[in-house]
Amino acid sequence: MTSALISAIKRLHITITPQIRVYSSNVAAATSASTNSLSITKKEWAFQPEYTKPREVWIENLDTIEEQKLGLFELHPSVYAAPPRLDIINQNVVWQRKIRYVSWAHTKTRAEVRGGGKKPWPQKGLGRARHGSIRSPLWRGGGVAHGPRSGKSHFFMLPFHMRILGLTTTLSSKLAQDDLHIVKDLELPTDEPEYLAELVEKRNWGPSVLLVDDTDYAPRNITAATDSLAHINIMPVYGLNVYSMLKHDTLVLTLSAAEKIEERLLHWLHTNTREQSKEFKVNQV
Amino acid sequence: MAWLGSTVLNVFWKPTVNIVRTRYHAEKTRLIKRYGYEEKIWSGGTLPRTLGKPLPIPEYRPANAWTERKALFGQNDYIDILGPGDLHPVKTLYTVPSWIRGVNGNEYQILLRKRKMWANTGSRQTRPTKWKDMEKRISFLYRKLNRKTKTGPSPD
Amino acid sequence: MGSRQITEKSLSMLRSLPRISLGNIRDNPNCRKPAKRGRAQHGGDKHGAGNKGSGQRQNFMRLGYETGNNPFYLRVPQEHYYRGHHLRREYPPLTLHELQRMIDKDRVDVNQPIDIASIVKSGIYNFFPDQKQFGVNLTDEGADLFTAKINIEVQWASELVIAAIEKNGGVITTAYYDPHSLFLLKNPKKFFESGQAIPRRMIPPPDAIEYYTSAKTRGYLADPEEISKERLKLSQKYGYNLPDIQKESNYQMLCERKDPRQIFYGLEPGWVVNLKDECILKPKDQELLKFYNT
Repeated sequence: MTSALISAIKRLHITITPQIRVYSSNVAAATSASTNSLSITKKEWAFQPEYTKPREVWIENLDTIEEQKLGLFELHPSVYAAPPRLDIINQNVVWQRKIRYVSWAHTKTRAEVRGGGKKPWPQKGLGRARHGSIRSPLWRGGGVAHGPRSGKSHFFMLPFHMRILGLTTTLSSKLAQDDLHIVKDLELPTDEPEYLAELVEKRNWGPSVLLVDDTDYAPRNITAATDSLAHINIMPVYGLNVYSMLKHDTLVLTLSAAEKIEERLLHWLHTNTREQSKEFKVNQV
Repeated sequence: MAWLGSTVLNVFWKPTVNIVRTRYHAEKTRLIKRYGYEEKIWSGGTLPRTLGKPLPIPEYRPANAWTERKALFGQNDYIDILGPGDLHPVKTLYTVPSWIRGVNGNEYQILLRKRKMWANTGSRQTRPTKWKDMEKRISFLYRKLNRKTKTGPSPD
Repeated sequence: MGSRQITEKSLSMLRSLPRISLGNIRDNPNCRKPAKRGRAQHGGDKHGAGNKGSGQRQNFMRLGYETGNNPFYLRVPQEHYYRGHHLRREYPPLTLHELQRMIDKDRVDVNQPIDIASIVKSGIYNFFPDQKQFGVNLTDEGADLFTAKINIEVQWASELVIAAIEKNGGVITTAYYDPHSLFLLKNPKKFFESGQAIPRRMIPPPDAIEYYTSAKTRGYLADPEEISKERLKLSQKYGYNLPDIQKESNYQMLCERKDPRQIFYGLEPGWVVNLKDECILKPKDQELLKFYNT
């Protein structure tokens, strides 16, 4: 029993020194030309990681189908190496589903069904069951007792820090599973969707890709290319969310987007969030 | 000539074989399968005939999981964290009607809010029956909640 | 991260696990408790509502019912007002107002030092030493109306009472009497008739020593120097001019105090009061004198 457990753990490839890892499937694609001009960025954060080392990732490119490594980049472990809590991810997804879900199922009560004002037959003397309205719930065509009433809201607000944790946890899981890639920018040489599809196929990014940029306006080529590819989507940084990250197989961040996300999350992790943590009130926003 | 002789022998002479039964049907022990199970469906008879018309099976239309609405589901839900911080995600729930956006409560609370927000929209004049039904429902729920049920503990 | 590197380990494990997606996330097992539903022979039960009555027909519990808790109205309040009452000393109160009234009606003589014997003799106040009552607690009701200039000895007094008496040029002392002495003070005649020698007053019990040796409370065991200082302090605290009792005509009376071993004014321990012959018998034996003087 014990030996089976040990061998199972060995099969899981647990290594405790993965600080510098190659976050790519195409290792051999690093050309000699790019290694010469490899930019290695050491970052100075306002909130330095205390006990964990920064995560290092390759900066990749999109302007060739073949992957080129343009440099090394550091990511803050508080944001990109958070404990992978699946329950927090699930709570965030449930929250995202429920925040906008309103059940419009509706039934009419006996008061709302048309008619039924008159007593159908006298109370006594006919040998029949006593009834007061033909729209009683007992009657065919009558109202429904305890039926669904329209406008049932399932809204609730997940606590602020649970949502922050949801973002960090999902980003960390994506990075740990090699599903997060950092690219220099979203510039494509052509606006053909075939090029992008081939790139995704070649780099083994999975069919669906979420591209996140810092700006509201993505370059023209990539918008045109993704226009006909429903499963490749572009989002600004502020639109990033847990559900979309999980729905898409691969998350591709531009350099500036990764820094922006890091900056925002580190800001919230190191600031007084009393206002944000307050209980949500209906008309507060 | 030896093969000829054997061939002739095979053709004209057959050894008599007497089959001796040592095991009779009645003595066979059967393997009992699915003991106690009774088939509820009658499986005899001929197969069903469709008289030229196929049985009504709904046309299979796979759902597109990547329509724009589904692909971008949940966008801006974290806008208060990742954005500049001045916009709440509830503000971006454009698909939800405003009177129920960001509201959580029982039917009575939601109806009160709906009535308040619809009072000046002309709904009272254009849909008088619906309005009357809503008023009736509110008064019914008022009586139910206040007279027949126990209110929960006060929030503060 | 701790030394066990749990985050690192779990992230490393994730590397070889299937991709996390919408289809394979879940909450922690057993983190939600599902609503109970009766099964089998309990399916047709009353669901805890009981048979008929408010349990079935009302959506709320009967008043005071706390879903199985011992309800509030049945939880006997445990307020131990009387814990150790048989050990505690009780001081039945006498208000300044009553005292003033007694003085106004000449129930007590202000030209003599007032002690518990004279207070009891007035007939207004009574106490029962056998019920752990240890004498007068002079309370501050009517402190504003109090105008008498007296030398009074009580068993308990508050700061305001002390101030009210000293403001008028009076003197107050708090003194302890053991129950046997209190019996004597309450009814001296009965004791004198018994023909016994007057006993010594006992010293206070350990928990009362602090009170009766404190100058602030004008304890009878306190240092007179300290008391005069405290008199001045109290007058400054309450903002009145402390009358100089040395210039008073009845200064002698105001200065009169009992000895800590003395029970009656003018009578010393060891003496025998003979009511029949109307004389006082004093001990002459050296051993007795030594005994009663300690």
